[in-house]
Amino acid sequence: MPEKISYNESKLVQMLKQRTAAAFSYLYDNYSGALYSVILSVVQDNELANDVLQEVFIKIWRQIEQYNPDKGRLFTWLVNISRNASIDTLRSKSYHSQKQNRELNETVYSAAGATNIETDKIGLRKIVNNLKEDYKVLVELAYFQGYTQDEISKALNIPLGTVKTRLRSALIQLKEFFKK
Amino acid sequence: MDIKEYIQSGIIEQYVLGLATAEEAAELEQLRIQYPELNDAIISFEKNFEEHLLLNSIQPPANIKSLIEKELFADTSKTKIVETSLASKTSTPNINAWRWLAAACIILLIGSTALNFYFYSGYKNSRHDYEALLTERNTLQANNVSYKQSLEMFQDTSMMHVQMKGMPGKEENIATVLWDKRSKDVYIYTAEMQQTPTGKQYQLWAIVDGKPVDAGVINNCTGVCKMKRIDHAQAFAITLEKEGGSAKPTLNDMYVMGKVS
Repeated sequence: MPEKISYNESKLVQMLKQRTAAAFSYLYDNYSGALYSVILSVVQDNELANDVLQEVFIKIWRQIEQYNPDKGRLFTWLVNISRNASIDTLRSKSYHSQKQNRELNETVYSAAGATNIETDKIGLRKIVNNLKEDYKVLVELAYFQGYTQDEISKALNIPLGTVKTRLRSALIQLKEFFKK
Repeated sequence: MDIKEYIQSGIIEQYVLGLATAEEAAELEQLRIQYPELNDAIISFEKNFEEHLLLNSIQPPANIKSLIEKELFADTSKTKIVETSLASKTSTPNINAWRWLAAACIILLIGSTALNFYFYSGYKNSRHDYEALLTERNTLQANNVSYKQSLEMFQDTSMMHVQMKGMPGKEENIATVLWDKRSKDVYIYTAEMQQTPTGKQYQLWAIVDGKPVDAGVINNCTGVCKMKRIDHAQAFAITLEKEGGSAKPTLNDMYVMGKVS
């Protein structure tokens, strides 16, 4: 009767620092699905997501020493690495394929009108879609595209203070959806 | 500072999702040390978020895991090309000959280094495979010994066998209690039980005068597991309990039961 093993976070971190194959296997088996869904939500492309997922696990493996439990749970750290890597990939991709200086305005409009039915159902986007339109745009730009609040304020021509409060209200609403 | 207001301001969500500015993050990290309720609220949102994402996992293509493993566990030591500095200032008349000789030496050296490296990595791979086989063999041998002991127990005529059959809806489960009439030691064989979900364990109970008595949680062992000693009982049963076992059985999670004949 083989039992399914489950480790708590601090034990897992300790194992990861020892770089054992079993630690990797456990990490991958337990978290790859969740991280893949985060990555897919951001890059919205299967091929690209596959590449980012590999990059993310290699990063986690090499940078586990940088994880600081005082700043949050391991999972939160993993998600943030995934999101950042996804955004970086998107940026370097558009940097190569588009103009050197992206016009933020263009992305804003495409974001606001982004009613791509397929991708709207992936992972976190499914939830974000429940938000009202002006919240959705903010989360799209901040979370999925990685713009700073300052950049958003300039692009949408809304005062920085409004961006701040609106983003926070959006996130508070999002939180309610997570609980369901 | 009104900490309740701060907790409800949305800053926690912003921080966890990686959307806080450096200043906002630094402030929050400072405050969470001072205010345990803030710290709790952060962890609670992190867990919420985590639970949601784990529930909404999307399985990546199956080959990715092995691709990453190849990248992480391949032998990455690289050949370092040894630089040889040649005294080129010696002005001999046939300097060209010396140059050719030096070039030949360098080529030979590089070739030899490469060959060394090639053989060494071959050696390392074989060594690695050999060790893996050795470990596997030891595990198999240990299992073999356990199984042999289990078989002997089943044959021992002083062992009472109590076969426990699956409860309605769980008919595919069977387990057997071996009860040593001399020492009153109890052993359990559970190879035909379905796998327990994460965080759960099977627990054996002896039914003594109508009351369940804890006979121990069933750990993952090869062959039969030794349980608590039971002096007398009319029946045995197994329930599914939280990890570590419970003081009282969860009766609606009873999997198998068998009477002592």
